[in-house]
Amino acid sequence: MFKHLFKLIWNKKKQNFLLMTEMLVSFMVFFAVFTLMVYYYDNYKKPMGFKYQDVWVININNAYQTKNTDSLDLYYETLKKTIKALPQVKELSFVSGNTPFAQQINNGGLTFKGKHINGVNNFTAEDSYKDALQVEVLEGRWFNKQDAVTKYRSVIIDADLKEATFGKGQAVGKFLGDYDDKNKMKVVGVIQTIKRNGDYVKPGPGIYYRADTGSFRWLNKILIRVAPGADAAFEGKLYKTMAGYMKNSNIEIEHLSNKLKDTNYFAVIPMIILSIVSCFLIINVALGLFGVLWYNINKRKGEIGLRRAIGATGNSVSSQLVMESMILATLSLIIGSFFAIQFPLLSVFDLQAHIYIAGMLLSILFVYLLVLVCSLYPGRQAAAIYPAVALHEE
Amino acid sequence: MIRLQNIEKVYRTDTIETLALNSISLDVAKGEFLSIMGPSGCGKSTLLNIMGLLDAPSRGSIKIADKATENLNDKQLAQFRNKTLGFIFQSYHLINDLQVLDNVELPLLYRDTTAKERKMLATEALEKVGLANRVKHFPTQLSGGQRQRVAIARAIVGRPDIILADEPTGNLDSAMGNEIMDILINLNRNEGTTIVMVTHDENMAHKTHRLVRLFDGSQVQ
Ligand SMILES: Nc1ncnc2c1ncn2[C@@H]1O[C@H](COP(=O)(O)OP(=O)(O)OP(=O)(O)O)[C@@H](O)[C@H]1O
Ligand SMILES: [Mg+2]
Repeated sequence: MFKHLFKLIWNKKKQNFLLMTEMLVSFMVFFAVFTLMVYYYDNYKKPMGFKYQDVWVININNAYQTKNTDSLDLYYETLKKTIKALPQVKELSFVSGNTPFAQQINNGGLTFKGKHINGVNNFTAEDSYKDALQVEVLEGRWFNKQDAVTKYRSVIIDADLKEATFGKGQAVGKFLGDYDDKNKMKVVGVIQTIKRNGDYVKPGPGIYYRADTGSFRWLNKILIRVAPGADAAFEGKLYKTMAGYMKNSNIEIEHLSNKLKDTNYFAVIPMIILSIVSCFLIINVALGLFGVLWYNINKRKGEIGLRRAIGATGNSVSSQLVMESMILATLSLIIGSFFAIQFPLLSVFDLQAHIYIAGMLLSILFVYLLVLVCSLYPGRQAAAIYPAVALHEE
Repeated sequence: MIRLQNIEKVYRTDTIETLALNSISLDVAKGEFLSIMGPSGCGKSTLLNIMGLLDAPSRGSIKIADKATENLNDKQLAQFRNKTLGFIFQSYHLINDLQVLDNVELPLLYRDTTAKERKMLATEALEKVGLANRVKHFPTQLSGGQRQRVAIARAIVGRPDIILADEPTGNLDSAMGNEIMDILINLNRNEGTTIVMVTHDENMAHKTHRLVRLFDGSQVQ
């Protein structure tokens, strides 16, 4: 019977071409949607890596500058002490501009044992960063004063970079960078990757450098952990304190929890657009399929009647029609999968293969389901036709 | 072979009720070649469909090969049609997207047969109707007479005891019609197949064993 249906489909390839194209196109769109969904979910499942609640960011524009490092140092030490003296402030850390949920990025390549790793985020942070963000240390430790005097420059890497470099093995005590020996960097700790792009978007690997006195020239953000319940009144006071101290600067205070919302929102927009497009597509494909199958039944009434006359039961007629559309779906899906599989094979985007595979499987399942649902009713309808009536109407 | 008792068929549409068959009782003996005649709309096709279990009568009973058919379910009916009955229609009812051989194999698909057996039986049936050289053609590439011969091959491929033919020569000229008729007569004579044929053609009807005339749903002869 299978071979028979295959012949029937093959001989009607012209009529079936359009339907198959429609199935193929919808598969590709579903593939995009599901891959994106799996990608988002994959990131969503991962830990945030730090506690963003009650963390504020102070942006400083046009900060105090002087050629004299000592006086600059003193200037910032005093500022830090002043802020820390506020009762609601628990911890603060000067950091590079690429704070969590900020648009700003600062990344570059890193070579490790001849392997080039792209898009590594470079962070600069103080010793207090760990407590300010409450980052999760997975291995080793966070920076401390000792790191100022080590032979090799101390660095801390996040779990993603560790995975890319040392894999499952230990990282602490090992060296990074393909420079001359004296320029190598020594890993002193591994922290959980901070999801700096929000809940849904991959943060990419990261490496942390210790902020030293020279860094203050360009570190223009401060992360502050405030006591729970720190309110607008306190925010005003903090602003006044900062503005009073840095007369020539523009100060802006943001809350990380709000920034996360914004970041997530922007990640979700393409998803929403795609979903709307695919909803239309689903409706379109469903109606198309339904229409074609419905039309088929009416056009093929003679055939249906004949099959009934020569020994087909109502059920076998109906399952024949369903099977035919499932075979068509299978053919489209084989072609579609051939295209889809190129994405992981050629690594078109920076996504792991398992995300593509999951997206592919989900869309295959979805197309089958859609085709099944759309052909069940017309199929049942065909089964209900009296053979004499069907034969009569040709 | 076929025993109809007090068959009545009423078609109901929204507006009218048609009495298509009125109290028909008819016996067809095993090996008989029976023809049915009557004016258009008198119920010939309806009667044939009821004999072929394609339609249920409104009243009355049908026995085929000594088997009562009233209480058969869909599956049993399908099996019965498949094994015992063969149909030939005026408009051939071939599937245009299938080659001649595949069309002839069709009834065997609804039985337990292997592809090899199907091919063998279908080729044999096509030889009987003289179309062994057209197996790879599509129905649209054949003449009307050839198409009807394909339909006959399909009807006999499963070796049914009974063949029901509804105006098998209706669309053909008399030469073609005679060829078809000869095939049916040979089938009846050589294989002992019982044949019931509806026709408009007196000449054809006279070649059969017995003629039944219908008028307005009733049997008049
Ligand atoms: N499905 C149906 N619904 C309603 N009425 C029907 C239906 N099928 C047939 N009839 C009616 O039943 C009567 C008998 O029809 P039938 O097709 O049996 O005639 P026929 O003798 O085969 O005619 P013809 O020689 O033209 O083929 C006709 O009056 C027809 O209108
Ligand atoms: Mg008729």
